[in-house]
Parts: sequence; C-alpha cells; structure tokens
Amino acid sequence: MEHNAGGSDARKVSVAQVLVYELRVRDAMTRPPITAGPGDTLRSIQHLMKAQRISGVPITGGDKLLGIVSIEDIIRALDKGYIDDRAEQHMARGVITLRDYFTLVRAVAEFDRHEFGRFPVLDSNDHLVGVITRGDITGCLMQHLERRAEEALAHEAELRAARASDRTAHRVVVRAPVRTGDYDNAGKVSQRVRQVLRDRGIDPEIRRRAAVVAYEAETNIIIHSLGGEIVATIDTEKIVIEAVDVGPGIENIEQAMQEGWSTAGRLPRELGFGAGMGLPNIKRCSDKLEITSDNEHGTRLHSEVLIKKAGATP
Amino acid sequence: MNAHLIKLEELLPSIRAQVLTGSAQVGVDGCYISDLLSDVLARAQPGVLWVTIQTHRNVISVAATKDITAVLFTCDRKPDPSIVAEAEEQGIVLLRTSLTTFEAAGKLWELGLRE
Repeated sequence: MEHNAGGSDARKVSVAQVLVYELRVRDAMTRPPITAGPGDTLRSIQHLMKAQRISGVPITGGDKLLGIVSIEDIIRALDKGYIDDRAEQHMARGVITLRDYFTLVRAVAEFDRHEFGRFPVLDSNDHLVGVITRGDITGCLMQHLERRAEEALAHEAELRAARASDRTAHRVVVRAPVRTGDYDNAGKVSQRVRQVLRDRGIDPEIRRRAAVVAYEAETNIIIHSLGGEIVATIDTEKIVIEAVDVGPGIENIEQAMQEGWSTAGRLPRELGFGAGMGLPNIKRCSDKLEITSDNEHGTRLHSEVLIKKAGATP
Repeated sequence: MNAHLIKLEELLPSIRAQVLTGSAQVGVDGCYISDLLSDVLARAQPGVLWVTIQTHRNVISVAATKDITAVLFTCDRKPDPSIVAEAEEQGIVLLRTSLTTFEAAGKLWELGLRE
C-alpha cells in the first residue's frame, strides 16, 4: 500500500520536473562554444567577452579543453597590470566540466555544488562541444514548457474540432413542405423525427416531446396557414424544429398561446383538431420556443428540445 | 403507475370489441378518453388504451407520437382499411366496438383499468 501511495505521488510531479529529467545538457548548452587559444592575450579575451556578452571563455588547443578564463580573472589582470599576458599564463586549469549527456537535473546539482557561473561541456570523446550557464538551463526549460503548452492547446483545439465535426456528421435534417388542408399527410415530419430518435436510442420522453412539437407545428400549418414548410434538425445535442408559413399570420400570439382558444373551422374540428391546444402543447414540450408572426411574412416558429445525456439530471 | 398491466384479450369480451389489427396479447396499463387530438398529445400517457370516436388517419399519427399501445373506436365507427394498414405498420393495436364511449369506459373501469 505504501508503495502504491508513493507511486501516485510520483505521478503528480510537474511538467518542469519531468523536463529536467528528460532534457540533457546538450539540449540547453550554447554551441559551438566561444573559445580562445592559449596564446591569445587576456586583453583580446576581455574584448571577446564584451563583444559576445559572456563571462567566461574556455581555452582550447584543437578540440581539447586546456583551461578557462573568467571575468574575475580579467578583473584581476587589469588590477595587477598583466592584461597583456597570454591566457596560458593565468588561466584556471583542471577545470570542472559537465558531459553533454548529463541530465539537466544533474547539471543543476553541479551548479549548486560548485558555485561557478558556467561549465564547459565535453562529449564522451573529451571534445569541448559547448558551454552551459544557469541561464541556459532556465531558457531551455521555458522553451520546452512553452512547446508543451502549445502542443496541449493544439491537442485541445483538435479535440474540439473533432467533436464539432462529429456533431455535424450526426446531424439529420428532415424537411417537408406542408400544404393547407392536407390533413391526410399530417405527421410526416413528426414520424421521421420519431424514427431517427428511436434509432439513436434517445430517451422516449424526449422523443415524444419532439414528436409532439413537430406534429402540432405541422398541423398548425395545415389548419391555419396558406402553406409552409417544416424543418427538423437533429444532432447529438438537440432537436430543432422550425415551422415557417407564408401567412396569414397569427393575429394575437398571446391569445393563441392560451389553452382552448382556437380559430379552427368546422372541418378540422370534426377531425379532432382545433382544440386550441396546439401552441400550448408546443410550449410545454419545448425547452426553448420563439414565435414571430405578422400578416406580411406569415409565422415562423422555432422550437428546441434538448437531448439530455443518460444519467444527467433532468 | 405501470404496476398493473392488463392484457387486451381480458378486456375484449366485456366491451364487445373486435380486433382490427395487432395482437390482443399485449397489455395496457391505463386508459385515456378524448376526441381532441391535441388533448391526447398533451395528456395521454404512453402505453395506454385510447378510446375515441375519431377514425381519421391522424389518430394513428397521434397514437404513434405518444407511444400509445392500442386505440378503441366506439359507436360502431369503422376506420378506412388504409388506416388499419398504417396502424399495423406502426405497431398500434386497433379495436372496435358498437358500445358508446361512455359504456366502454364503464366496462373498462369495472375490469380494473383505473389509471
């Protein structure tokens, strides 16, 4: 059990902590190193430091590291008056180096232990391949953290896009013209909506609500309008039912929303329509409902029934 | 609710009904009576027997919309064969009786259909 607890702790380490173990000295170091020869004067090295904005210069013969001249050595040389001497006369020898394959966490430990501002870096053949400072390590970590963050954001965007296209791929549009007085064909869209929702295993209560909205909207056009169209759009999140007719428009929507109020004629009433419950039924079954109507453009009804995921609270 | 499912075949003799389409072996757990389609859309529960004098095609659409199990036409009303065919396709049982809606309702209540 204790072992497991330790394991779960280990999983909580930050990205930066993971990076210092993953990244190597060669990933962070400055390369190629700016070097000088043993015969160069300390003054020329001073100029090199100034020009390159660096505080230490490895002295090499060929690929081999011979020593190092730091800014402190230069200051001392200026102070003591030997700035025109050659590097090999005053450079520090037996320099402590890091290997290019060391992890950054080890490099940080070496910086803590030795309090140097920089380390020459050697490869496994003892060739000088770079110089590393604490600033290089910080910069490298920042760069990699930024890259990880960008990758995470890109991944997130990808997932979002996939979800969106998934939604589009699962979109079904049922569209049908509706003719005035065509009582025999009432319910065509409603029936198709029911089929799609049943095939998708949508909760029966939601299926019935959507079917009622579609049916009532369809019969409203048949009974009351000069003709129109009904469009049901089903995706993974909701069922949108839009009923549009060419007029003559609802004179008083507020009145029409009241149960029992109807302008239906004799024939539809004999057929069982015109109970004055159409719009109230639509309203009761919709999660969202918008109706706009005027006698110039007719009526536009927009209803949405949300598809709640199984287990979600109603 | 849903506690008491009564098979249609247990109801048929008393209400003197004949089966127009579907199986009398299915059960219903309640009854709704109305001749107004929107009223049925608003209030009928799924799985019930709907009693009506309406024999128009829209009865089938409404019954299907609300997942109503069976429809009983009263007053000796007879639906068009095309409507019976559509009910069959939609899996809705159609029954027919010469009783009035009131008489049928009384019998159904006596038989224990009380929701």
